[in-house]
Amino acid sequence: MRQPSFVERHLRVIFPLPAILFIALLMIFPIFYTLALSFTNWNLTSGMPMSFVGLRNFFRVFAEPRFHDAVWRTLSFTFLAVFFEAVLGTAIALILNRAFIGKGLAKLLLLLPLVATPVAVGIVFNLFYDPTIGLANWALSSLGLPQGLWVSDATSVLPSLVIVDVWQWTPMITLIVLAGLAGLSEEPFEAARVDGATPWQVLRHVTIPMVMPVILTAVILRLIDALKTFDIIFAMTGGGPGYASETLNIMGFKYSFEYFRMGQASVILIALFFFVLLCSLGIMKLRSSSEN
Amino acid sequence: MASVDIVNVKKSFDRAEILRGVSVAIEDGEFVVLVGPSGCGKSTLLRMIAGLESVTGGEIRIGGDVVNDLQPRDRDIAMVFQNYALYPHMTVADNMAFSLKLRGVARPEIDARVKRAAEILGLTGYLARKPRHLSGGQRQRVAMGRAIVRDPRVFLFDEPLSNLDAKLRVAMRSEIKDLHQRLKTTMIYVTHDQIEAMTMADRIVVMREGAVEQIGGPLELYDAPSNLFVAGFIGSPAMNMLKGRLETGARTGFSAENGIFVPLPANAAPDGLVGRPLVLGIRPEHLRIAHEPSNGFEVVARIVEPTGSETQVTATAKGAEIISLFRERQAIRQGDAFSLEPILGHLFDATSGDRLATISI
Amino acid sequence: MKKNVVHEILFYLVVIFISLMVLFPFLWMLSSSFKTQTDIIAWPPKLLFTPTLQNYEKVFGEQDFLKYFINSTVVGGLAVGLSLVLGLPAAYSISRFTQRRLALFILLARLMPGISFLMPWYIIFSRLDLMDTYVALVLSHMLIALPIVVWIMSAYFNSIPVELEESAMVDGATRQYAFWAIILPMSGPGIITSVTLSFIFSWNNFMFSQVLSMEKTKTLPIAVYNFVSYAEVDWGGVMAAAVAIMAPAIVLTMIFQKFVVKGLTMGAVKG
Ligand SMILES: Nc1ncnc2c1ncn2[C@@H]1O[C@H](COP(=O)(O)OP(=O)(O)OP(=O)(O)O)[C@@H](O)[C@H]1O
Ligand SMILES: [Mg+2]
Repeated sequence: MRQPSFVERHLRVIFPLPAILFIALLMIFPIFYTLALSFTNWNLTSGMPMSFVGLRNFFRVFAEPRFHDAVWRTLSFTFLAVFFEAVLGTAIALILNRAFIGKGLAKLLLLLPLVATPVAVGIVFNLFYDPTIGLANWALSSLGLPQGLWVSDATSVLPSLVIVDVWQWTPMITLIVLAGLAGLSEEPFEAARVDGATPWQVLRHVTIPMVMPVILTAVILRLIDALKTFDIIFAMTGGGPGYASETLNIMGFKYSFEYFRMGQASVILIALFFFVLLCSLGIMKLRSSSEN
Repeated sequence: MASVDIVNVKKSFDRAEILRGVSVAIEDGEFVVLVGPSGCGKSTLLRMIAGLESVTGGEIRIGGDVVNDLQPRDRDIAMVFQNYALYPHMTVADNMAFSLKLRGVARPEIDARVKRAAEILGLTGYLARKPRHLSGGQRQRVAMGRAIVRDPRVFLFDEPLSNLDAKLRVAMRSEIKDLHQRLKTTMIYVTHDQIEAMTMADRIVVMREGAVEQIGGPLELYDAPSNLFVAGFIGSPAMNMLKGRLETGARTGFSAENGIFVPLPANAAPDGLVGRPLVLGIRPEHLRIAHEPSNGFEVVARIVEPTGSETQVTATAKGAEIISLFRERQAIRQGDAFSLEPILGHLFDATSGDRLATISI
Repeated sequence: MKKNVVHEILFYLVVIFISLMVLFPFLWMLSSSFKTQTDIIAWPPKLLFTPTLQNYEKVFGEQDFLKYFINSTVVGGLAVGLSLVLGLPAAYSISRFTQRRLALFILLARLMPGISFLMPWYIIFSRLDLMDTYVALVLSHMLIALPIVVWIMSAYFNSIPVELEESAMVDGATRQYAFWAIILPMSGPGIITSVTLSFIFSWNNFMFSQVLSMEKTKTLPIAVYNFVSYAEVDWGGVMAAAVAIMAPAIVLTMIFQKFVVKGLTMGAVKG
């Protein structure tokens, strides 16, 4: 009688093994490399040998006002963007959650921002925001409002970037909530209507509580991605003017690939990492609680 | 063709013990039905025979060889699944040919076998179709066809008819039975439908909570259930059960706790059982109308359901529900009071549930 | 009745407004790409103008756009292809052997900021003399594609009844052969979803290519970005470049709309 082959007996190890090795090699190892670098004073361009400096990088970076600003900016960019995306995205989903002529087309349109190349999106918005020829200022002036400098000014750059992120990612929330709404069973709505609830009450007490888990997951997914926003900021402002739009991701990038101060860059990345991890734990918690 | 021996087989998932030592000896060519309530472990046992679940303890032998550690493909068995598990991307012919191709059977031989199976199952016109273009009954046939082209030593079925509507189910029931007559291959068939079990099986294995309650032919189980569980599970409508004690003396009969007294002939009550807590079980068709009211117990008809061939009467007596079934036409109407007397009954031990005696009047 | 009509009209107005908000940047980009520089810097902005193809001629003529286009396609194609090779068995294993921890491990690659591996890659790839090669780019883009493939495919495999492989195994197949001959051929929709999405994300990726590629393997997003830096004021050319880079992703999305929606939403919506 034939014995099961080696492959067959160890299928549950052999099948995932290449993927595990790949991720270990390309992700886990580099992450530890980054961690290790944060304890050294390595500068790629100086040619000096790497030496262990303990926590000095941490003290230096944590003492820098530029770092504090970047943390604060990252968090405010993220929360502002995701807040508007969640509110607008859910509202649009609730509006579109009915049969209407052209629904397929509307859903296709919603997909387009999500697949548009962020760098290119950033550049198109730069044309909008251009103070002298941009549509944004033309719109303001035709409404009789004072014109703005948009991304060219330190005070308005962050909100301007938030608008771009909101334009690009609100549809993500909309599509997720729409899918969530489509998956709800009809009965609670019918029951509520039979009980005499007004449409508004149905919305508040039935619809929204029922899609809440879906909204929350979508929001956390967005939080994680918004924390990591890079392309549009880099393409539109490069972190400027000055450092006015420099988030942790941009700052880490500059420390790594412009100043080549690898040790300090690692500290910045670890900070970013920390915030992402916090949100990731949130999503895992949510996932396991919805499983039980 | 082969015998299947299941010897003290145990199965645990994590810590939960699902099968607690099951032994069944299935003869070559037999049609055996595993039956029992949902979750009793029928599917698990069948899947262990197929090799889809590992064996925690005990031994499974097919044709005398221990197969505990053999892969499913090396056991020479065929299995029909509840959801048919047809390969959606293959035509009916390819579905049936798949196992033969894997075995390296030559193309002309494959074609011939598929053709023959299609003829047996009435699928000849559908060989080029994909499963999604078939009706439920046709899919079921393809699943069977896939099994029979193999000419395996043993057929395994896991509730193959439960996705069909009632009419089709009855038709397929006799088709499978017919197939067995023709192929004479050992078949093990899982169902939780006791009618299916009764009509199809050579022998029935009644299971409950991971253990075998009784093994026997359909009529054997019906006439001599070895315990209360089997008595209640086999037969429809179910056996009437009354808790109480046997009395002799001033009057002879069974005195139920709820106050019903079932009179019995003086010689019918087994001596050793008098006074013990017992359960009296009477099948609905073993009740008849007592023309001498003192020979029976009084009931009030609640529901009368004539089907033409027989009449089922659901009645109450002192709060207990008593179902009776009559071949002859009866003039009973709802609300009528009348007396019933048993012609056959079983006595079970009230604590262990074991059958102690059968009394025939 | 009348109230209903008003209600309907209002609803469609809102839908049109939302659509316009979504569509407007695309329309403006498209129209600007056909404008001459004079028309673009005109104030107030011109809605009516004589279209010109000169921007496209410039982008495809002077800039080596075709080369970048090929680079992006090759990198995306290879990264997605290899991710399928690694990801399909892994996804199968997660689905059938309920390996939750493995799923989380691979999900981590989707969650972690790319820059935290980019810096070590930069150092390692420099040492190995792999900068500006397809090898470095494809490896990095696989880290984008692989989690998407695994994520989508493990959910897809969950939806396939396990009896299909069991039946094949009883019929004489090994588990790995059942995976190959039964499960994969019927996984078309899942594979299309994961290929489309991971290709688009690879296509749009900017950061990895910006660091790891130079002239030889430069991908489209970098080319477009550089185009802005070189030609700060040539808006028409920039818009034509933006149209050129977005067009393939948008066409893919239109063809595979259902699949893309499913892939994007399945993370949050169960089942
Ligand atoms: N893979 C598994 N892991 C853990 N428990 C299992 C597994 N498979 C089955 N069980 C448990 O084993 C018990 C028996 O299951 P089984 O499927 O054999 O029942 P069954 O008799 O076929 O019931 P049904 O008529 O509902 O199909 C059930 O309690 C079930 O929950
Ligand atoms: Mg079962």
